[in-house]
Amino acid sequence: MSMPELAAPGWRRFLTARRLAPLLMILIVGVLVLAPLLRILLATLSPAGIEAWGAILASPMSPNLWWRPLMNTLILGLGVSAGCLLLGGFTAWLVVMTDVPGRRILGVLHTLPFMIPSFAAALAWGTLFRNGRMGGSPGFFEANGFIIPDWLAWGIVPVLIVLIAHYYSLAFTIIAAALSSVGADLVEAAQMTGARRPRIFFGIVLPVVTPALVSAASLTLAGAVANFAAPALLGLPVRMQTLSTRLFGMIEIGQAERGFVLALLLIAVSGIFLFLSDRLVSGRRAFVTVTGKGGRTRRFPLGKWRWPLFVAGFGLAMLTTIVPVVVLVASSLATQTGALFSNWTLHFWLGEGGGQIAQGTAGIFRNPVLIGALLNTLKLGVVVALITMLLGLALAHTITRNKGTVLANILSQLAFLPLLIPSIAFAAAYIALFGAPIGPLPSLYGSFTLLVMAAAAHNLPYAVQSGRSVLGQISTDLEESARLTGAGPLRRMWAIVVPLAIRGLLAGAILVFVKMVRDLSLVVLLFSATSPVLSMVAYRYAAEGFMQFANAITVLILVICLTASLVAQALQARVQKWKE
Amino acid sequence: MWKSLKAALLAAACVPALAAAQDLDAMSTAELYDRAKEEKTVTVFSLSSRIARVEKAFEATYPGVDLIGLDLSSAKQIARVVAEQQAGVYAVDVLYIADAPVALRDLLAPGRIHTYVPPRLADQIENRFKAPLLVHRLSTKVLMYNEQAYPDGSPVTNLWQLTLPEWSGKVMMVDPTQRGELLDLLTEIALHPDEMAAAYKAQFGSDIVIDDDLSGAGEQFIRNLFLNDLVLVSNSDDLNKAVGTRDAKDPPVAFGTYSDRRDNEEEGWALQVANDVEPANGILFPAVLAVADKAPSPAAARLLIDFMFGDDTADGGPAFAPFNVPGDYATRTTIADDPDSVPLEDLKAWTINTEAVAEHRARIADLIITLQ
Repeated sequence: MSMPELAAPGWRRFLTARRLAPLLMILIVGVLVLAPLLRILLATLSPAGIEAWGAILASPMSPNLWWRPLMNTLILGLGVSAGCLLLGGFTAWLVVMTDVPGRRILGVLHTLPFMIPSFAAALAWGTLFRNGRMGGSPGFFEANGFIIPDWLAWGIVPVLIVLIAHYYSLAFTIIAAALSSVGADLVEAAQMTGARRPRIFFGIVLPVVTPALVSAASLTLAGAVANFAAPALLGLPVRMQTLSTRLFGMIEIGQAERGFVLALLLIAVSGIFLFLSDRLVSGRRAFVTVTGKGGRTRRFPLGKWRWPLFVAGFGLAMLTTIVPVVVLVASSLATQTGALFSNWTLHFWLGEGGGQIAQGTAGIFRNPVLIGALLNTLKLGVVVALITMLLGLALAHTITRNKGTVLANILSQLAFLPLLIPSIAFAAAYIALFGAPIGPLPSLYGSFTLLVMAAAAHNLPYAVQSGRSVLGQISTDLEESARLTGAGPLRRMWAIVVPLAIRGLLAGAILVFVKMVRDLSLVVLLFSATSPVLSMVAYRYAAEGFMQFANAITVLILVICLTASLVAQALQARVQKWKE
Repeated sequence: MWKSLKAALLAAACVPALAAAQDLDAMSTAELYDRAKEEKTVTVFSLSSRIARVEKAFEATYPGVDLIGLDLSSAKQIARVVAEQQAGVYAVDVLYIADAPVALRDLLAPGRIHTYVPPRLADQIENRFKAPLLVHRLSTKVLMYNEQAYPDGSPVTNLWQLTLPEWSGKVMMVDPTQRGELLDLLTEIALHPDEMAAAYKAQFGSDIVIDDDLSGAGEQFIRNLFLNDLVLVSNSDDLNKAVGTRDAKDPPVAFGTYSDRRDNEEEGWALQVANDVEPANGILFPAVLAVADKAPSPAAARLLIDFMFGDDTADGGPAFAPFNVPGDYATRTTIADDPDSVPLEDLKAWTINTEAVAEHRARIADLIITLQ
C-alpha cells in the first residue's frame, strides 16, 4: 500500500461531520469570543497599556489596585460559590427529589432571586442593617435599639450574604435540571439491593449531578467576582474594593487601559479555577443516566421531616425572594426614598403628569414609549435566548462528545470567558471589529444583528454550562442507534438530544433571557434605534433622580422574567410527556 | 500605488470638507436650517435624559429635522465614539458630555470632536467657556450640609476643619476612583497649593508642613482627609440621604451636587450648600457641547448646539428650560441665575481648569489609590 492511497481517505475521514463540528465551533467561538478578547489584550500592549500593567502589578499602588481587591474577590468568589452549592443543592434536592409539601411553589420561589437585580437585595440589606456610619435615618435594627457593628452593616460579610442570596438560585436552576434526570430505575435498583439513604445519596445522586455542581460552581463564582452593585453599595463605605469595582472605576475615570488589564487578570484568575474544576470533571468516570429508559423521577418520602424542611425551604425563599421584592415594590410606591413604608401612592405607576409629585412626571404606564420598550425588550430577550441556547447546545454537545481532548478543553475555557469581560469593553471591541464592512459583509454598526451577536456571545457561558451539565448525562447509545438507522446530525439533535435535555436547555435559556432583559450597558453601547428597551427607560428615570419610576420598571422586568420562566416550565412539561 | 492614490483622494476630499466646515461655522441659523432640512436628522449622545425634552422643543422650532437623542454616560460616549471612529463609522453628530478632562484628551486632541461656537452667541459667553471646549452649563461638586441640624449655617468654614478629629468618619463623598467629577474636585484642590496653604494658616495659625512625597498643600489636604476616615459611597443618592435626611441627629457633611437641593421638599431632605468656606467649597465643572468629526449632519449639528443655548429671554425660553435648574449655572450671560440659589459670582467654588486638571488628574488618581 502506497502512501498517497493511505493519505487520501484519511484526510477525507478527518473531514467527516464528527471532526467538522468541533472545527466549526472553534471558528464561531473564535469570532465571537476570542477576537474581542484579543482586541482588549492588544489595547493593553500599547505604551499606555504597558504602563498600566506596571502600575497594577509593580508599583506602590499595587496593594490597593490589585492585591487587596484580588483577595476580596477570591474570598467572595469562593465563598459565594460554596454557599450557593450548599443552598442551591439543598433546595434543588428538596424540590426535585422529595415529597416536601408545596414543591411547585418552592420551585418557583427559588428561581426568583436571580431575576431580582442584586442591588435590590443590597438595598434590602441596607434597609435592615444600616448603621450610624452612613448618617441619614438608621436601619430597621438600629431604630429598634440593636447596635449593628460596622462589619455586619458594611464590607465583606454583608456582600457575601447578599451575593449568596442572589446567586444560589442560579445554582438551584442548574442542579434541579440535572437532578430531574436522575432516573427512578437507578434509585429503585439501589433500594432493592438494600442501600440506605445516605448511601444512595453519596453513591448515586451526588456522582450523577457532579457535572451540574461544577457548572453551578463555575457560574456562581464568575457571577460573584464580576458583580458590581453589591460590593459598591455595601463595600465602599468601609473602603472595600473588589476587582470589579476597581475595574469599573478605572474605566469610568478615563483610565481604560488599567481597567482592561484588571479585566484580563480577572479572566486569568478565574480561568485557573475553571481549569481545575474542568479537570475534576474530566478526571472521573462519566455517569450516564439518561438512557431512554425509566425517565420518571423517584421521590424520597421525608416522613417526620416533611414540615421542618418545608419551613427551612420556605424561610430561605422568604429571606431571599420576598424581602427584596417587598423592598423593591415598596420603593416604587413610597413618595420618599428614605421612608419606604409610608405615604404610599400609585402615582409612579399610573399617575397623571403635571402635579406636584416628581416634578410633574407622569406614571410609567402613561409613558408613551413604555409599550414600544416592552415589545423591544421581549423581542431582544427571546431572540437572544433562542440563539444563545442553540449555539450553547451545539457547543456543549461538541464539548461533551469530545471530552478529554485538547479541543474540548479549549472550547470549554473559551466559552466561559465572556462572563468576565466587562460589557463596556466587550461592546467597544464589537463596534471596532464589526463596525466596518468586512469583505462582502456589510457593516453591522448599530444593527439589531450586532447587538444579538454580542449578547449571544456575552451570555454564552450560561447556555453552555447548563447544556453541558445535562448533556453529560445522556447516553451516547441513543445517538449511536439513531446514527445506525441513518439519522443525520441535525435529525439526531432534534429528535433525541433536545427532548431529553430540554430542562437544562430551558434553564439556560431562562438565565440568558433574564440577563438580557435586565442588561443595560451592552444595549446602550451597541443599539442605535430610538425606540429603547425597558432597562434604558429605567436608566433614564434613575438618571433624573426618579428612583421610584426606575424601581417600578424593575418590578415590571421582574414580572416579565417570572412569566417567561413559568412559560418555560409549561413548555418543558409538554415536551417531556413521558414523565407524567 | 493604490494606497497613495487613496491618500491623495482623501486629501483632496478633505480640503473642501474643511472649507465647508468653516463655512458652516459662520452660517446664520436660517442658513443652517435650510441645509439641515436636507440632512433630515441629527443624532446626539447626551449625558442627560433631559434631551427628550430638547427633542420636542427642537422639532417644534425646526420642523423637518428629526432629533435622535441617546442617553449615554460620559465614559460610554467616549468609549463608543472612539470605537466607532476606529471602525470608520461616523454616525453621531453632537456630543453633550461632562468629564471634560477626559473628553479633551481622548476626543478633542485626536480630532474626534470639534468645538463649534454659534456666531449668535460669540459675545455672550466668556472666552474661558469657548475654548478649548464650548461649555453649555456648569454643575457643582460642593460641600453640602444639613440646614435643619445646623440652623445657624454651615458647621464648616474652612476645608481644613474636615481633617480634624471632630469630623472623623463624618465627611462623605462618592468614591473619586469611581466617578470622574470627584476626581476632578480633588485634582482642582491639588492645583491650588497656595490658597490651601493660606487656609491652613488661617485655621491652625502655623505654616503647613508638607510630607516629603507630596507636592503642595492641596495634596496634603487630600491625604489628611482620607486619613481622617473619609467615608466613600457609590452614588449620590446614598450621599444625599446620609447628609440631608430631616431629624437625623449629628448628620455628616459631604461633597455633593448643589442642584440636588431642589428635591429637598419631596424627599424630606434639608440639604444646603456650605458657601462660606475657605478657600473654596468645591468646584464648578462644565457640561460640554461638541460636533463629532465627520458628522453626517454637520449643519443640523450646529443648529442643535445653537438651539440648546436658548433664546434671548432671561430664562432662555423652552430650548434652555430643561437645563434651567437651581444650583446649575448657564454659561450664556443673558440667562439669569435662579433667584433662590447663590448667584454664580457669589458661589465660592473653583471653576475647574479643564486643561490643567486633564494634565494632573492621573497623578492625583494614583495618590488617592495609595490612600485607600
